[in-house]
Amino acid sequence: MKNMPLRIAVIASIPALVFVVSLVAGPHMISPFTNDLVSREILFSIRAPRSIVALLMGMALGASGAVLQGILKNPLADPYILGISSGASLAAALGIMAGAAFLGTFTIPLLAFIGALITGGIVGIMGWKRGGLWPERLLLAGVGLSFLFSALLMLFMSISSDEGLRKAMLWIFGDLSMSEWAKIPYGAIFVGIGVTISLFRAKALNALILGDEFAHSLGFSPHRERFLLFVSVGLLTAASVSLGGMIGFIGLLVPHIIRFFIGSDSRLLIPCSALIGGALLCVADIISKAVLPPMELPAGIVTAIIGSPYFLYLLRRKNVLSI
Amino acid sequence: MSSVSEPKILELRRVSFSYSKQRSLIRELSLSVGEGEFIGLLGANGSGKSTILKLGSGILKSSSGDILLWSKPLPDYHNRDRAKLISYLPQTLDIAVPFTIRELVGMGLYPYDIPPAMSVDSALEVVGLQDKSTAYLTDLSGGEKRRTFIAMTLVQGAGLLMLDEPLANLDIKYQIELVRLLKTLRDEKNISIVMALHDINMALQFTKVILVKDGAMLGIGTPEDVLTDTLIRDAFDVQVNIMRQTDGSSYIHYGDNF
Repeated sequence: MKNMPLRIAVIASIPALVFVVSLVAGPHMISPFTNDLVSREILFSIRAPRSIVALLMGMALGASGAVLQGILKNPLADPYILGISSGASLAAALGIMAGAAFLGTFTIPLLAFIGALITGGIVGIMGWKRGGLWPERLLLAGVGLSFLFSALLMLFMSISSDEGLRKAMLWIFGDLSMSEWAKIPYGAIFVGIGVTISLFRAKALNALILGDEFAHSLGFSPHRERFLLFVSVGLLTAASVSLGGMIGFIGLLVPHIIRFFIGSDSRLLIPCSALIGGALLCVADIISKAVLPPMELPAGIVTAIIGSPYFLYLLRRKNVLSI
Repeated sequence: MSSVSEPKILELRRVSFSYSKQRSLIRELSLSVGEGEFIGLLGANGSGKSTILKLGSGILKSSSGDILLWSKPLPDYHNRDRAKLISYLPQTLDIAVPFTIRELVGMGLYPYDIPPAMSVDSALEVVGLQDKSTAYLTDLSGGEKRRTFIAMTLVQGAGLLMLDEPLANLDIKYQIELVRLLKTLRDEKNISIVMALHDINMALQFTKVILVKDGAMLGIGTPEDVLTDTLIRDAFDVQVNIMRQTDGSSYIHYGDNF
């Protein structure tokens, strides 16, 4: 592709730009250099943590989508297809509806994270055969568990009180309003570990896309690589869901959008999907607060509403690449 | 042709392999590949050709027996070190991958921290694809696809290529083109090649032929020694005639099979 350094520079600068705008823009416009106490309080206590959470979640979803589409060799794969998010949602929603608060505001994120890890573990065990993880088994196990947990979730929601139900619904559709500084380090650690593993194994992911025999011939152990990449996806999805619930679109379509611009080499696809995923969720959050103030729309709905038409436009304009 | 002192790249010693205890796919098979050898692996469908190539490349682990790469047991190699010595290409390359030819060939550098001698550009030139480096695999003909992956193995720098039926699905022009390219690589870069194939006439071009049946060795040696009417009948269960010409070359005649 032509002008690759320029393309990458543009992609890398978008999140920084969006982040600054997200701090300034809102129902109350704030100059970043203000000395007004109220404005500074809004900037540092509300907007900054919220934007950082949006960036982290979007990065986790973008990167894990790019990895998962590669290891499952399926363009329809997204971080939620493995059922990890359904397990997280079930655990979180049960906690919300039961009014659990044993760790204060950390209770629900922790429950979600544990739910995600347990589900990831079950999917991993189900997908394991003859010394390794098999893409088809992972996919089917994930889809199966996803249905089970979604059904259980609906069952509990249908017998829950109105207030608990509303809160749980809000969380499931992605809620960034509860973002706070205290949660960011935990989220950042897991997103950091997940992105780092996937970046270090990006060459192996390219080789796995060619097939296990190619990967072996190029000096990789296919089962080991798939396992490491699966762990990175699990951590990223768990971190993202526990930070702010389920946000659709980013994990599925951001990697496809990035492929149109920089190609499919995972060494570029993963970081670029992470950057644009983060930026997109940040933009969606700005819009979700601006459309019907003081009401906030769920950010997950906004990402899909602004992202899908753009994706469809690209699909018409450019040659489609597979994963 | 082969002597004791000749260096052996790959040796299989009494290697057996089975997925289950009931049926052995490979039975006590021994063979060796020397430097610069161009070996054709022949046998009926299901005779174990692909399994032998996968065992020799380390993709499959033998149930018993030893496999040595440069006199060292193959399982003792680190994956990346093994990849610098031996390269395997599967039979099916009709994979819809989203990489450009340049990206694919560049993957041959993956086992290395410091790029080896052969650059992506020179590898593309050797296989004659320098003008198609930005194309995608799906845009290429069957012969070009094969050559793309041969270029990848060149960049990989492996001295031994294990090719599983690279001539399958190629028309005769591309078959000749590919075998000519492989012969050039052997002559100019001293690369050893083991390839599974079905075309007995083509196998007559090789320096060595291995004939297998039901996972066991039926014959090994020069094409003239191994590709005889009798051994071919044993291997393929069909009677054909090998016609020797006055210039010393041979070809296969299907006789009155039709």
